[in-house]
Amino acid sequence: MKTLVIISHPEITESGSQQFLLSSIADSEMITVHHLEGTYPDGNIDVVTEQKLLKQHDRIVFQFPFYWYSSPPMLKQWQDEVLIDGFAYGRNGHQLKGKEFGLVLSIGVSESEYQAGGREAFSIHELTKPFQAVAFKTGMTYLKSCLIYQFPYMTESQKMTLLIDYQQFLTRAADDSLFTRENWLIDQLLKTNKETLAHGDDLLLQHAIEAIEENRDTIDGLKMVLDEMNG
Amino acid sequence: MDQNEWIIEELESVFQNSRDYKQKALIAATQQLIKEQALRVTQMEGELDGTLWSPRNWNE
Repeated sequence: MKTLVIISHPEITESGSQQFLLSSIADSEMITVHHLEGTYPDGNIDVVTEQKLLKQHDRIVFQFPFYWYSSPPMLKQWQDEVLIDGFAYGRNGHQLKGKEFGLVLSIGVSESEYQAGGREAFSIHELTKPFQAVAFKTGMTYLKSCLIYQFPYMTESQKMTLLIDYQQFLTRAADDSLFTRENWLIDQLLKTNKETLAHGDDLLLQHAIEAIEENRDTIDGLKMVLDEMNG
Repeated sequence: MDQNEWIIEELESVFQNSRDYKQKALIAATQQLIKEQALRVTQMEGELDGTLWSPRNWNE
């Protein structure tokens, strides 16, 4: 699966959250990072190149800071010019059909304010309806969003959790069952650089993989017994 | 100490000794995942116990 991360941020080098996310991405030919303001400083979008990029990827991600309940203007311009009749919708516009689509939002206000009774009054899911509609109209499967609230206030431990959540958002199968997450994690443990581990610790990572696999066997065994008992 | 508790504790030193931030995050996530699996096993065992002792099955 190839993922295209379309970032819209007018001052990306100044953004702690965007820099953190960029550094979280593992070097992989399966992920393409595409910063719109950096690629088109004059604002002239190359529509043919953009459409070609979209066709080459299976999962399309919009990543941006949530400005006034929407994206920075460049991403709106990009949608207006790239997702056009005959390409993204309309009689012959099926180029995005069957792909996956997701949002990565950095949000300046705390999560609890985005609800009825909160200062922002509406949930993020209500406020991102236009993006959900784009996915619906173009035949893409809308993924659960990766929402990052108040990045500067995050603890080191929360940032590490975000790093892994974000990596999974870009590369893991959309299903977020425990089983799927186990497989993703085992794959990462097998790929991790042994050079940055202390001597002998790679053996402990191997033990960890075995423990995950044994736990899976136990869970599957219990599930089988329970299914039988519950008829 | 069971195997899960043992490996979670060992992973703590792997975490401390790793020289790469992303790798540390991966190790922390591994600890969390094993804890989640252990909880799942406990919950399923509880469900099994509950099913075995359910009065519904006493007349069978």
